[in-house]
Amino acid sequence: MNRLSDLLISRPIPETLLRGLLFTSFTLHMLFVLLTLGTAILALYYFIDSQYSGRAKELRFDKRILKTFMAHKSLAVVLGVAPLLLIQVGSTIPFFTAVNLFAPYWMLLVVFLIIAFLSFDALGHKMYVHRYIHLALGIIALAFLLTVPGIFAAILTAFENPDKWQAIMSGGYRLTGALAVHWLFRYLHVLGAAVVFGSGFHYFFTAEDETERKALQKWFVAGILLQFILGIMLYGTVPANPGYGILIPLFTGIVAAALLLWMLFSTINTGNPMQIKTLLPVLMLVLVSMLLTRQFLQDRTLLPLQKQLEANTIAYENELKPFERQTLDAYGASLKVVYDSGETIYAKSCAFCHGANGDGKGVEAKGLSIPPEDISAIRTTRGHLYDILKYGVHGSAMPYFTFFDRDKLDSLMDYMDRTYHVLSPPEAVVVSVSKPAMEQANSIYGQTCAGCHGMDGKGSKLSQGFKPQPPDFTVYSLSPKRAFEVISSSYPGTMMPAFGSLPEEVRWGLVKIVNEKRRQ
Amino acid sequence: MEFPIFQFPYIGNGMAIALDAVLHVIISHGMAIGAISLIVISEYLGFKKSSQDWENFAKDFLKFTIIITTGIGAITGVGIWLITSALSPRGIGSMLRVFFWPWFIEWLVFTCEVIFILIYYFTWSKWVGEKKEKHVYFGMGYVFFALCSALLITGILGFMLTSDGWPWDKGFWSAFLNPSYLPQLLLRISIAFSLGALFSVAFLLFTRRREDFRKEALHFFGKAAIISFSVAVVFTWWYFSVVPSTFKTHAVFAVLTSRFSQQPEIFWYVNGAGALLLFVFSIVSFRGSTVLSKILIVPAVLVSMLFVSEFERIREFIRGPYLMSGYMYASQVLLSETPFLSKDGMLKNDFWFNHAPDNQEAMVQGAYLFARNCSVCHTIGGINDIAERVKGRTEDGIFVMLGHTHEMVPFMPPFSGTEDERRTLAGFLYGISKGTIKLHDPSRFVPVNGGGTHE
Repeated sequence: MNRLSDLLISRPIPETLLRGLLFTSFTLHMLFVLLTLGTAILALYYFIDSQYSGRAKELRFDKRILKTFMAHKSLAVVLGVAPLLLIQVGSTIPFFTAVNLFAPYWMLLVVFLIIAFLSFDALGHKMYVHRYIHLALGIIALAFLLTVPGIFAAILTAFENPDKWQAIMSGGYRLTGALAVHWLFRYLHVLGAAVVFGSGFHYFFTAEDETERKALQKWFVAGILLQFILGIMLYGTVPANPGYGILIPLFTGIVAAALLLWMLFSTINTGNPMQIKTLLPVLMLVLVSMLLTRQFLQDRTLLPLQKQLEANTIAYENELKPFERQTLDAYGASLKVVYDSGETIYAKSCAFCHGANGDGKGVEAKGLSIPPEDISAIRTTRGHLYDILKYGVHGSAMPYFTFFDRDKLDSLMDYMDRTYHVLSPPEAVVVSVSKPAMEQANSIYGQTCAGCHGMDGKGSKLSQGFKPQPPDFTVYSLSPKRAFEVISSSYPGTMMPAFGSLPEEVRWGLVKIVNEKRRQ
Repeated sequence: MEFPIFQFPYIGNGMAIALDAVLHVIISHGMAIGAISLIVISEYLGFKKSSQDWENFAKDFLKFTIIITTGIGAITGVGIWLITSALSPRGIGSMLRVFFWPWFIEWLVFTCEVIFILIYYFTWSKWVGEKKEKHVYFGMGYVFFALCSALLITGILGFMLTSDGWPWDKGFWSAFLNPSYLPQLLLRISIAFSLGALFSVAFLLFTRRREDFRKEALHFFGKAAIISFSVAVVFTWWYFSVVPSTFKTHAVFAVLTSRFSQQPEIFWYVNGAGALLLFVFSIVSFRGSTVLSKILIVPAVLVSMLFVSEFERIREFIRGPYLMSGYMYASQVLLSETPFLSKDGMLKNDFWFNHAPDNQEAMVQGAYLFARNCSVCHTIGGINDIAERVKGRTEDGIFVMLGHTHEMVPFMPPFSGTEDERRTLAGFLYGISKGTIKLHDPSRFVPVNGGGTHE
């Protein structure tokens, strides 16, 4: 089923309510985002201005502007929680995909915001730092802060263009061509709005005299004029044929913005200060209608996609249905299994290769070129067994088991000893071997076997490069029967060849020799 | 999977989330709840005793905490969400749907929290005299909302480990009021006050105060520390007593990792020493010894942060194979998908794989299978490097182990995919361990010469 589908847990909130809440909370969030950005831009500008203009520095206009930063940014962050939640629940697939495409930048938001916030708060609280330090810190803070809407604009651009996801990926996870142009104007449009809202806010709540108000009024007017230009450019980058649903809020916004300008020019001409009672409703109307336009533009591509995703989800859900019962049963059973005893650990972690009876015939044994050892045939020391568990056997399928702590491995070793007597001393070889056969065996060991196993049974120099290495006979042996089997028919997958052509008695002689090494 | 591949390079996904989350927990618990509660109490003491010292201390300390909480605490909190959105979209996306309403209410609570703390902060110098009492009430209002947010978020955290009946009934309340909910909530609050007391002492000792006030305040915060440490110990015990043994048994390994797992006694010695240090510190502080407190405060703060990290590490690690216990594996594969994918094929059902360049190449397929099955915990060349994990194994050995990951290593999820896909992944991992396969882009798992010659 090569289609995208939505997540399988159904959406917990009706579509209309979700969209209503999303729009409301997003508008609130954006309002404070714009105030935060605007405050930051103006504060830095008026710091520079205070250093070079003739105005008295004691007025500290920039400080008073920056003092509000703490509140704006805190509210901007916290109000962003709801729209992020709602967009991730409502448009899960496109949103997370867009985030994924720009994942490194998205995660860097955390770092950028912390740097920007701490720097601005430091400047806002500490009254006097050296002007160059102040300037440097302010520039750093503003630079980091201004990347944030840039990252969001990029993600929303990708979010609204599902048909371009492949292109973004193959283009090295960057916006290119028309998307890049769209991103640029979108980003600048946000910054322009920040200037408008920031200057408007500080005009009414921070400015204390006529000079300050006049200055902010200029920012305000310039910001709105700039928004007209940027808005037209931005509109040029969105697909044609918007339809009435989009044109109505868009024209409402434009008319409201024009009204705002007219109101401004008329107050400037009369010389009266701007009135918040008349200005604020119009300004909010501009914000709401522009955000509505944005929302409807976005819906145009995303609503049909969501419908398609949901249809695919139902299909996928039906494919998984038959497996639900069995997986829940298995999960319920697995909750009862506790890996705290050697018995459980052996059954779960060892038996699939070494067999439930320790005979080396687990379900997977056949698939391994080096067969798993018959545990019940092993006779070794606790130290050596522990080393095998701790390091595994290089060059074989036997892994290390240090993902169990020492107590668990102790319990496992106890279990292996209890059940398979792996720590018992080696069993005596009961088959009797004649003297000449024993002599022959001795000379074969010396001439052939020792080449790899070493005279002392600890492994020769030659064998050091082998993977897996020959066992150390002084600490590790097999039952006589199993040792005879290995000598006779080799250890598959390793360097150990078969010596089946030797007389049986000689082979038993070799078993005795090997067995003796444990006693030395 | 619905989403393109992405892994946090080198340090891996888990560590990336952990670094941010632990910082957030320390600030949100220790400052936003603990320290500010103590600030409100300090302000109240100043008001009751008409003590300018308490008043000034509370005011200065608030200035510091509000910068840290709104500047780092809030951002790292949202940061956990931002980072998981990028690294674990299916996990966070599903959790948002299960816990939509608490999350939404959390938004309202957060907003109230911020409004209250801003009012509390900006009105400090204005609401004096008769209005002082009202100001203290605003502080208490903030603490109320801060506790409410802990109340909401703990349900979600507990659910990931002890999902209780939810996998069967999919009911909201069985998810939210899961068995570890109450003990974890109480434990977190006691951690908050423990850290808060330590931070208060640190601020008290390293800012300019009158000596007799310093002694008086040390005594007070020392008492707060003794009480909250003791309570934290009790709730830690309660918390771990409700965690199912199947998860709990991996707690020691969670802390020690395979590097120290063979000396499990380290776990007990180090924890014991840490706890002892904290109690010694709190007694020293209770007795008003400025010099000894000054010596011990820095190690005590560090130890308390390590305890927080340890707790979060254990909690996140022992849920092991699951991201949402009983529903989704840590690899973001649903429990019910594994049998389906093992029949139908993992790659065939992967939208992004089907659009990936060179997807006929075994190397590219192996890289995708690794990304989907393993990359939530294992990196290639970084922390928990898969090359180290399979080093020395034969290719058939890797193949067999891949079929039994969840049995052999109880905190690993099972492999999802057909037998052929398992063989492809085994070949890829074998190549990685031998160094014959290298990645060109470790975060997107693009193998070197993905379009070139076959391996």
